[in-house]
Amino acid sequence: MLDESGAPRSATVMPNPLREGLAEERVPEPAVMVIFGASGDLAHRKLLPALYSLTRDRLLPARFAIVGFARRAISDDTFREEMRAACNEHARRRPIDPALWSAFARNIFYHQGEYEDPAAFVALKQRLADIEKSLGLHGNRVFYLATPPSSFASVIRSLGQAELAPKPPPPGAPKPLGAPPPFARVIIEKPFGSDLETARALNRDVHEALDERQIYRIDHYLGKETVQNLLVFRFANGIFEPIWNNRFVDHVQITGAESIGVEARGGYFEQAGSLRDMVQNHLLQVLSLFAMEPPVAFDPDAVRDEKLKVLKALRYIPASDFEQYVVRAQYAAGSSGGQAVRGYREEANVSPTSTTETFVALKLNIDSWRWAGVPFYVRSGKRLPKRVTEIAVHFKEAPHLLFGRRGDSIRPNVLAIRIQPDEGIALNFGSKLPGPAMEIAPVSMEFRYGSSFGVEPPEAYERLLLDCLLGDMTLFTRADEVEASWAWVSRIHRRWAEDAAQQESGRAVLPTYPAGSWGPAAAEKLMTADGRAWRLP
Amino acid sequence: MRLQGEIERFVRGEPIAVEVGEIERALGSLWQEASRVGDTVAVSRAALWNVIIPARGRAALATTKQLVDEIAPALPTRTLTLCLDDADAQGSGALEATIESNVVSQPGGARMVYSEEITIAGPSAAEGHFGALVRALQVAGVPTATFWLDPTAPESLLTRELLAVTNRLVLDTTACVRPQQLFDMERLSMAAQPLPIADLGWLRLGALRAMFAGIFDPPVGGAPLVQAARVTIHHRAGSDAGALLLLAWIGVMLGWRPLRAAQTSDGGVRFDFARAGQPVAGHLVPADGACGRSGMFGIEVTTDAGDRYAIRRTAIDQAELRTPGVPPKPVKLDSPSDAELAIAALGSRGRDPLFARCLSYARQLWSLETDTAASRR
Repeated sequence: MLDESGAPRSATVMPNPLREGLAEERVPEPAVMVIFGASGDLAHRKLLPALYSLTRDRLLPARFAIVGFARRAISDDTFREEMRAACNEHARRRPIDPALWSAFARNIFYHQGEYEDPAAFVALKQRLADIEKSLGLHGNRVFYLATPPSSFASVIRSLGQAELAPKPPPPGAPKPLGAPPPFARVIIEKPFGSDLETARALNRDVHEALDERQIYRIDHYLGKETVQNLLVFRFANGIFEPIWNNRFVDHVQITGAESIGVEARGGYFEQAGSLRDMVQNHLLQVLSLFAMEPPVAFDPDAVRDEKLKVLKALRYIPASDFEQYVVRAQYAAGSSGGQAVRGYREEANVSPTSTTETFVALKLNIDSWRWAGVPFYVRSGKRLPKRVTEIAVHFKEAPHLLFGRRGDSIRPNVLAIRIQPDEGIALNFGSKLPGPAMEIAPVSMEFRYGSSFGVEPPEAYERLLLDCLLGDMTLFTRADEVEASWAWVSRIHRRWAEDAAQQESGRAVLPTYPAGSWGPAAAEKLMTADGRAWRLP
Repeated sequence: MRLQGEIERFVRGEPIAVEVGEIERALGSLWQEASRVGDTVAVSRAALWNVIIPARGRAALATTKQLVDEIAPALPTRTLTLCLDDADAQGSGALEATIESNVVSQPGGARMVYSEEITIAGPSAAEGHFGALVRALQVAGVPTATFWLDPTAPESLLTRELLAVTNRLVLDTTACVRPQQLFDMERLSMAAQPLPIADLGWLRLGALRAMFAGIFDPPVGGAPLVQAARVTIHHRAGSDAGALLLLAWIGVMLGWRPLRAAQTSDGGVRFDFARAGQPVAGHLVPADGACGRSGMFGIEVTTDAGDRYAIRRTAIDQAELRTPGVPPKPVKLDSPSDAELAIAALGSRGRDPLFARCLSYARQLWSLETDTAASRR
């Protein structure tokens, strides 16, 4: 029973006895989600389709509202129509169900305002109060910052000034009598800063208005099933953890390849480059999950503490041998998907003299007992032959080759963890060929999510939005993790800047690779110099 | 070497008749040949479960085979369908077997996944052979689920043989046309202890239960449930077993003690409970209309103060949540297919210990009703 303000009459809310036994479905508390940047690509392609899919899977609470906030002056109905079209195009299950959409759309609203205008946030506060009252919500709010990064600080400041996201009581503070206070959480999209200094500055701004426990820095890679399966694979199976170290592992290759070019994002990519766009966030997060020590518990801070240790243990690349550890390049004209494609410098919104890297290959070392002497080779690029993200663990050879060396038929075992597409795990090993001779051939034992479970995994954003509503921060990046990864990456950027300054032109000299190839020759040399080769993923 | 035509029929998913004692060998040979003749795609033979489904009579066999075909795209299994059929009087009385593949193209088309289906049919007299055949044909290293979907034959030699090699028992209480059949289902569940038991009927009620439970999440909270004076379950006539399970769920969760039962003038049944010394009434009310296979129209709780909290079906896949003080909220009410429920039964939702408690409680409730009916006679 609710009073006129929409709050429960009773001071305390009794637990729901019917929830027991329905625990496998984690349903968050009723809430409203405000999306800043609601006119943008992310809201259309990912956020609203993800919220629709969650509703379809009955994973959102019965009382849930969405408020889009952007600069354009449009009505609730226009916004709903735009979102309907977006969900029809991008939702996991299409076409959308008209009956379900009708119920879902009723609680979608739009609020026009400028991100830098404090008055717009005061008006938003009143709008939220009205919506919450009409729908019987009691003040739980999630604010999603899907705006350009330049607006992050001003939006957060305005949220603070309008008292839209009050800080929770400090940890250990006595619990208030009655119902717990409503939550206010803020999801911040990447990029979180563009180097160590800007990341630190943004963290300072954020912490002035919010408590770290309210901040959900999203890296959608962590929402992918296979990335989460890394934890299960390592810590729920007794046989892998004993060989997950430098006694058995020769080296590890992490590939994040894209077949597309910069498409319409030339302006953004010019400022970012592959190292910022892929490595600093996605691939270092994957690496830290792969390489971390077992956490003491499966709770957010225990997991993030271990990831942080890995990031802090990344050895800084030595200045003297920089080229043996870092390769960057830019794609030139070539072929992709059977069609001729132009080079990076010919792309829209890209400078014809651009020195932004579209490919980067790195050799990393983790200074820890577990990984001492095991190099991690990481590469990422655009306009590579195919879209694939995988981790390949190359194990050491058998200590004694009983059958001798027969060409390349005896190869070290490789465990390939495919993050996308065709999510799964494959183990390569040698097997005797049938017949009288002792012929050995490499074979592969594969597990594929699609084949084994026959279900379509949820989109990464579905999982992450749900986790935020549930208050589970495990798959979100903490402030110190962000700063640790920037601390490592920013040194490379500084070195590149120094190298450029030494050139007569003041610009870096970048090798190129033809679109549709696996990168420049220098990337191959990075491996061959160590007597190794990139795996073809 | 198999005939080319036979291999093509097998890959197309058509049944191939084989000797009962040669099933495994024939399957091995067909898979091997199929991968040799496959020109463009690799052949994966996959099984995450052994699924055993007994079926009595040809009609049940046809229904079962349709279910198996619908499960195949989502879950690779080796399915053994065991058909007892005395209708074919001219038959030799010997067991007959067919094997077939279930073919699934994966998104992207790069892979084909195959799972396999074995059907063994014979007269009731051949029942004694089934246990040994099942043991011989189970794929090693994967669990076995027995789908016992026929509530009319809960105990037999076959049941005892199958439970011994089963890791999960799957029932379907929706098939209980009389609530008394819940007694048989409970006996079978007890015999299967400590196996996890899944019930397609229970899973069919899942969406309604989850939606109804959601009403009492914050900010409403569980207070109205604790103050409930009356609970009404509206159901289709003939779906009493499902309605009883729903009422049992609420009774179990709220700790109500069943006292007595009586038939009502509207053709339903009224149950009286004690709740912390206070009386609570539970009504099963039959009604007409479209409500999917679950047979349920809605649940309503009325508190001591007269406040009503309800979920009511407004269309076959639509419902309305009603809470005092806020406008009714329309919600989508899923009606999953039998195949979707069967797949769920083999997942984590098929290990719901609450079902066994509610089944036992439902049996206890119906005992009150039958006792009352007997005393009236």
